[in-house]
Amino acid sequence: MAAKFQTWWQGLRYRGGGTMVAWLLHRIGGLAMVIFVGMHVFASFLTQQFGSGFGTTLNIIYQSPYFQAPLYFFVIFHALNGFRIILLDTFPKLLEYQREVTWLQWMVFIPLYGLVVFFIIAGIVSGE
Amino acid sequence: MEIKVKILRFNPETDKRPHYQTFRVEAEPTDRVLDLLEKIKGYQDGSLAFRRSCAHGICGSDAMRINGMNRLACKTLVKDLSKGTITVEPLLGLSLIKDLIVDMDPFFEHYESVMPYLVNDEPPPLKERLQSPEERERFDDTTKCILCAACTTSCPSFWSNGRYVGPAAIVNAHRFIFDSRDRAGAERLRILSDQFGVYRCHTIFNCTLACPREIQITKAIGEIKRAIATGSLD
Ligand code: HEM
Ligand code: FES
Repeated sequence: MAAKFQTWWQGLRYRGGGTMVAWLLHRIGGLAMVIFVGMHVFASFLTQQFGSGFGTTLNIIYQSPYFQAPLYFFVIFHALNGFRIILLDTFPKLLEYQREVTWLQWMVFIPLYGLVVFFIIAGIVSGE
Repeated sequence: MEIKVKILRFNPETDKRPHYQTFRVEAEPTDRVLDLLEKIKGYQDGSLAFRRSCAHGICGSDAMRINGMNRLACKTLVKDLSKGTITVEPLLGLSLIKDLIVDMDPFFEHYESVMPYLVNDEPPPLKERLQSPEERERFDDTTKCILCAACTTSCPSFWSNGRYVGPAAIVNAHRFIFDSRDRAGAERLRILSDQFGVYRCHTIFNCTLACPREIQITKAIGEIKRAIATGSLD
């Protein structure tokens, strides 16, 4: 009998190129943001309503550079990639130049995220 | 030179799951992957199953994953692949029948669902239904499809839900929607605005990169998304 032998791993191994990676990062980032933001709201709620230590613990995790660095990565990437997709979907003519548009996206992303990383590191160094 | 060809094999009569088997084949850099498969089938293991017909990139029979990406075996040269082992696997997203042969029925059902033929009940003019070169040019790109399924089976949306009509069906709908002689464009747009229609496309571009005919598939899908959203074909 014919059957589907399909696994997540096979899909992830497909060599789709940079745009497939961008899509994966976009989706992971979207989900991650829901968790990040949810955690932040939840922690503030706990702290405000019960003054609970658990809320404070969550906020300490949330505000640590190890948490903030990936958070900013996903937020900035998701926003820029989202704008690229909105742009391409609105003006299908641009889809022919998707390579150029993708390069442009990275050219905006790298300095922007670089700046964020700079401030995070500066914060650590100055003991903020 | 001698090359290793690693093939994902599956015999439905004896195997529970697919498994890899590696063959050593004598090959020229200018050989196509299809030639390697023929050599293996002819001289080493006659039970190897794969589809091919024209061997010239026009019948669309031999799309498969070669080194992790969908391509036609008959259009892929050994010298254009990275050195070392060549990995050959069946297309994803369709049921496996044997070795490199997948069940294409769902693929062709999606193709049929978009009415891939000219619809025009108006009485034809004396000679023929005329069309200007510009009008013909409008859908030229999407006439090139050979229905090999490389695009549809490269799409993560299709992998996750086989009910998505998929890039190939949309390309073939595009071919008629933008044909000035056709009259069923609105009906096709209605079919494609369904929840398993064009909006399953997340602009991932795997289809465009996989197409052996270099059709701008994502662009064709984008034009249909836009036509549905704006209600206009301009
Ligand atoms: C400037 C801000 C943002 C822009 C431009 C943006 C843009 C987009 C776009 C275009 C999509 C659809 C992608 C696709 O078709 O595959 C999307 C999906 C999504 N977004 Fe955003 N987004 C933004 C902010 C956010 C925020 C703040 C969150 C969460 C708190 C979020 C969560 C998600 C999720 C969960 C998805 C679904 C993932 C997917 O379908 O792959 N986004 N976003
Ligand atoms: S054998 Fe016909 S397309 Fe390759």
